[in-house]
Amino acid sequence: MMSAAAPADRTAEILRTVEELLIEVVGDELTLTGPITLATSFNADLELESIEFVALAEKLQQHYAIDFVAWISGKQLDEIIQLTVGELVEYVATCQS
Amino acid sequence: MSVVAANGLGFHVQELGEVGAGTPLVMLHGLLLGSLASWYFTAAPVLARARRVRLFDLRGHGRSELAATGYDLRTMAGDLAALTADLPGPIDLAGHSWGGLVALRFALTHPERVRRLAIVEGPLPPSRGAELTAFSGAIGTTDLGAPADPALPGRLLEALPATVRELVASGRRQAERLVRSIYTLTTQTSLLADLRAEPDFDTAELATLDRPVLCAYGDRSACLDGGRRLAAALPDARLTILPGGHYLHLEAKDALIAALDAHFAEPAHG
Repeated sequence: MMSAAAPADRTAEILRTVEELLIEVVGDELTLTGPITLATSFNADLELESIEFVALAEKLQQHYAIDFVAWISGKQLDEIIQLTVGELVEYVATCQS
Repeated sequence: MSVVAANGLGFHVQELGEVGAGTPLVMLHGLLLGSLASWYFTAAPVLARARRVRLFDLRGHGRSELAATGYDLRTMAGDLAALTADLPGPIDLAGHSWGGLVALRFALTHPERVRRLAIVEGPLPPSRGAELTAFSGAIGTTDLGAPADPALPGRLLEALPATVRELVASGRRQAERLVRSIYTLTTQTSLLADLRAEPDFDTAELATLDRPVLCAYGDRSACLDGGRRLAAALPDARLTILPGGHYLHLEAKDALIAALDAHFAEPAHG
């Protein structure tokens, strides 16, 4: 059996996947705003529509064994509005470990 | 994306929670500013801890297909019927604003399909829905085929309550897309005409609905009088007044969730 990937590699892999899925949802328009980092926020930086965020969550749930809805069920509205790519990546990584 | 064909249109549907966990709850959003995201990022995740929750984008909204016509309550209740036909047994329904009235229309037409109902900020008479939206003054009396008004987008965004603007249109891209969507719906479809032409609910018909109904309204909402009338006319209704305006799922999120969760809680067995 292969050993688990190092956390840094895993973070980079999930970030890449999030970026790919975002482009699937939003299209090439997204690339105009510059590279996506862990600090990028979905609302203030990417200006993602809430319905686009739903589509991204659906794709993530198909890709990884995560329960996005259960995760946000514990969050306040302002936490959801301020959500960063890094927080989402960290949540996905937690589910994988 | 889950697209379900109904009444000649493609509808975007999302399922939350566990299949088979209690009575399914179907939640409907309000017109123009709303989409299934209105519930997805507010009450639905918490409610889905104890039950299966189904959300869908109303015709012309979110990621559902744009329809030129059919924004009246009977047609939209027909959409609801088609999109819930696969759910076994009576279902629970919750709707915000026009979505609440769609749920009510459905319950009056198909009482055997409904266990409990929650109407959040449904405007009465329904034709007031055209004026009661926060930005109605901004849209004004725009008619089909009228030339584009360049000042409309700015007026429209200024008219949004701060909580709503923060969630749906705090950035330029979001604002542009929201304005485009509202502009399309109000100038390229029969939506506003359908709202204005919607007949009022008949008090005698409301008196026939023997299902428990929660009427949740904001203490600062222009719709509150409608909530009082509904609660008085429906035989088994309770009026719950929460601190806030028309957008209770944003303005009084936790209190609204608690009220909905209590209303839809399954009775204990034994």
